[in-house]
Order: sequence, then structure tokens, then C-alpha cells
Amino acid sequence: MRRRSNLQKWLVPILAVVVGLWSAVPIAWMLITSLKPQTAIRTSGITLLFAPTLENFSNLFFGGNKVGSFLVNSLVVSLVSTFIAVALGCMAGYGIAHWRSRHSKGLSFWIISTRMAPIAAVIVPLFVMFRTVGLVNTLPGLIIACLSFNLPFAIWLMSAFFQQVPKSIEEAALVDGCNKFRGFWSVALPVSRPGIITTAVLCLVFSWNDYAFSSALGGPNTSTLPMAAGALVTQSGIDWGLLSALGVVVATPMLIAGLAVRRHLVTGLSLGAVTGE
Amino acid sequence: MSAAVEARPTAEPRPQLRGKPTKERHGFRTFEFALMAPALLVLGLLSLIPFVMLIAMSFSKVKTLGGVSLEFAGLDNWTAVLGDGSVWASWGRSLVYFSSIVILEMALGFVFAVILHNLLRGRSVMLSLVLLPMFLAPVMVGLLGRFMLDSTIGLYAQLMQALGLDTDVFAKTSTALPAVIMIDVWEWTPLVALIMLAGLTSVPPATLEAASVDGAGFLRRLFFIAVPQMMPVILVALLVRSMDAIRYYDIITATTNGGPADSTKIIPIRLYEMAFRFNNQIGRAAVVGLTMLVFSIVLANIFVKVFGEKGAAHVTNVAGDKH
Repeated sequence: MRRRSNLQKWLVPILAVVVGLWSAVPIAWMLITSLKPQTAIRTSGITLLFAPTLENFSNLFFGGNKVGSFLVNSLVVSLVSTFIAVALGCMAGYGIAHWRSRHSKGLSFWIISTRMAPIAAVIVPLFVMFRTVGLVNTLPGLIIACLSFNLPFAIWLMSAFFQQVPKSIEEAALVDGCNKFRGFWSVALPVSRPGIITTAVLCLVFSWNDYAFSSALGGPNTSTLPMAAGALVTQSGIDWGLLSALGVVVATPMLIAGLAVRRHLVTGLSLGAVTGE
Repeated sequence: MSAAVEARPTAEPRPQLRGKPTKERHGFRTFEFALMAPALLVLGLLSLIPFVMLIAMSFSKVKTLGGVSLEFAGLDNWTAVLGDGSVWASWGRSLVYFSSIVILEMALGFVFAVILHNLLRGRSVMLSLVLLPMFLAPVMVGLLGRFMLDSTIGLYAQLMQALGLDTDVFAKTSTALPAVIMIDVWEWTPLVALIMLAGLTSVPPATLEAASVDGAGFLRRLFFIAVPQMMPVILVALLVRSMDAIRYYDIITATTNGGPADSTKIIPIRLYEMAFRFNNQIGRAAVVGLTMLVFSIVLANIFVKVFGEKGAAHVTNVAGDKH
């Protein structure tokens, strides 16, 4: 491995560029399309020369679609549900990581199985429940729906992060006279900050990107951005310029947030089963 | 794995009457459980009630107009669903969809990881670029796929046309399923690559070099030394992708919505239709939901068995092996 062969010098970079293009081209094309004037989108040739315009973005926010209020709904639902999930998840995750009981294995299994439950199977009873208590088409309803997948995720992941905290640190704190609460609040929590941030970002991504729950349990008053995308399609013909602009608006914050925690991403997305970059 | 066995608490005897044993077992009146209680309460409301309702609804005729009401219907829903050939066809299609997605993503993800691992310069930037698709909303990814493959204006459709391939992929029964599979593969292969890359970096370079000195070629080193050591990580990637491949159906909703002629109607799409689109067959949807749940519970069981224990399969990066 030490001597660089020609293979590693030339073939690997070329293949890496191919892999990069596979991922990046559709996203770049979406960005380019969002900046194109309508006429340049409709032509069937591949146009790369055009006068960039923000017309699609202004149509998106100031045209007939109330995308501004969808944006607010998306922000409220994802931020509030993420906050609740991470707060409860930190507490419960710490509890599970330290709870020695013959029930702890069963408990872990129950928690992970709620995260793995097929969305379609969960939506139906949730819809009936929400219908009974009047939560359909309300923001609290959507926040609760997001909790149904983000809470078990946050508990499970935070428990994995807390298990990585070296035992010696916590034991030292107890020897120094910390009680259990201080051990959690002043030792484990600060040490696990990267884990908490990663968990929060992933919860945010999941709830921000959710379409299945919000389309089944939401309604005209509670449309989120992904639902707006669905709505743009059902109208006669698809306005790709508008849709690309919406795609850029939906994707950009999540791309930034996701790449910001890239170092811990693999731990988060493998539910804590794999660590290291 | 030995760490997992060691940490298992069930092997200890139960100290019940002793005053303060050093290795006490924890009960429900402890600080640890108090911390868990609020979350467990919320999760209980959000998972146990729906589960019980799902069972109740599967034996009932459910009406949602003018207040929800359940009317006992015996095994009607069960016999209707189990005797419905089109539901079985959906299961078959789901199986094809599911296994294609998982196999393609595992294989491509492995290749991507090997390429990135051997990249000496700019690995970090390239990895960031590769990871982009998985942060996109699946419904947007579906729509983006439609846009890229649109037969008149799509960028990829035009490239395909230039190669003499058929373009109207979502309109034909033979190409619709492969198209939605490829869209999912586009979005989630980066995740598999990311996990596999972590596995590859954790293989000690010394063993690889030793093998290299012994004359083992690149492929032999990869498959006979790296892959066996990566097995736990490969399994994690497999489980993570399996569970999501069953969970999500946004991409299909946004592209074909089950069509044309049911060729992409996988089981969650069928369930959704039963519950929300066609004359309110919520009871039948509940039956389908329960059968899906069984599948995912089996999967969750495997997940916990293999990775739920403390310290199991934690692949930590060996310090200083970064290029």
C-alpha cells in the first residue's frame, strides 16, 4: 500500500469523480433549474447558457401558493418536535445506559421496534386516534406524529452516546461527591455534547423531510414544505421551475446541518452501532 | 462480541434481601427509571395505543364519518385480505423491490467505500459530495427523479435517448419498478458507503501491509482480510437499510403512486390506498399493517440481538490511520 501504483494514482481519482458526479449531478441540475427562466426549462435541449433569474423563487413565495406559511409550519413542527425528542431522549437514553435490570433488554427492544415500525402501519391507527381527539390538521398533531419516530430514535441514539462516556469519568465524579443527578447533568451531558447535537440534527432532518405523516394527518392549515411539493404536482402540469426552487428551499438547510455533523453522522445513522468517521 | 456477553446483567444472581450489594440490580424506583419515565410514557401513548387499536380495527368494520366507530366484524377483514390475490401480488412486488434495493445499495455502497478509501487526496470533500442525496426529503427525491427522467425535458432521459434507450420509464410496466428502485438507490447508497467506509478505516493497516508483503493482490486483501473484519459493520448497514426500505414509500408516492397497472404497488402503497383512498377499508388496512409489523418486529429482534448489547460491534477508528 505504501508505493502508489499507477492504479491508485489515476484510476481511483477518476472513479471517485464518477461517484461524486452520480450523487451531485441531479442536485446541481435542480439548483440550475431553479435559476432558469421558464422558457429555458421547457425547451427540450440541454440548455446551460441562460440569464439566471430569481423569478422562480419569487413566484414560490409571492405567487398564488402560500409557501411562506408552509415554511413557518415546517419550522414549527420540526423544531418543536426535535426539541421535545432530544430533551426526553437525553434523559431516557441516560437512564437506559445506566439502568441495570432484567427488563432493560426488553425495554431496548420495544424502543427500537417502535422506530422500525412501518410508517404506513402506524399512520392508520394514529389517524383514527387523532380523528377522535381532534388532532387531525393541527400543528400539535403533526408534532406528536413526528415524536412517534423521533423519540425512539433519540432515546436509542443518546443511550449509545452515553455508553461511550468513559466509566472512569463518571466514577470519579461520584467519588468526588456528586450525586446521581449531578453525574448526569454536569458530567455526562456536557461530555456528550457532540452526540446531542448529532441527535438533534438527525431528528430535525427526519421531521423536516417527513411527507407520509404530514400528508395523512395534516391538512390545508398545516401544510409543510414537502406537502407543498406534493400539491404543486397535482395541479394540471408540473411547473418544474417552481418545484426546483422549492426543492432548493427544502434541501439547503438540511444539507448544511447534515454536513455540519459529518464526523458523527455514521454513528447517528447506524443508530449508534458503528462509531468513528 | 465477548464484551457484549460480559456486560449482560442476566447472569448475576438476584440480591433481594441483602442491604447494599455492590452490584445491585435496578428496579423501578431509581433515579435511572425516573429519568426514563416521561419518555416511556409518551412513547407508550404513541405506540401501545395504536398497536392495540390496530388489532381492534383488524376485527372490526371501521367508520370514520361523523365520529369514529368500530363495529365487530369477526374475521371478515382477515379473510378478505388473505384471500385477495392482489394483496399477495403486492407482497411479491414488495419483496422484489425490497431485495433489489438492499442488494444494489449494499453492493454499490461497498464499491463507493472502497473507491473513497483508496482516494489519497480530497477524500473528505468527495465524501461530503457523495453524501448529499441522503439529506434530501424522499418525496423531493421522487420528484427530482421524475424531473431527471421526464421524457421531453429530463436531463437523464435525453442522455438515455442519445444511447437509444426507451425514455418514458414511469409509463411502462416493465420499467417503472426498476426506475423507482434506482431512485431509492441513488438516495441511500451514500449511507451504506458511509457505514462501510467506517468499517474499512477500522481495519488495521498493518495486517493489510503484512498481506501485501506476502504477495496478496488488491482484491485478495480486500476480500480475504478487510471484508471478514468488516462483517459486523456490513451487517449494520444491511439492517439499517432493510428497516428503512420497508418503512418508506414516499418515493413511489411522488413518482408512480403504484401505477402503471399496479406494477409499483408495493404493500405500504396498497395499505395507504385501503385506508385513505378507496371506500374506507380501514379494517383491511389494519390487517395489512399488522402483517407488516410482524416483519419489522422480526427485524428489530435481530437488530437488538446483534447490536443492542453494551459495547457490541462498536468499531472504533484506530488512531492515526487517516491518510
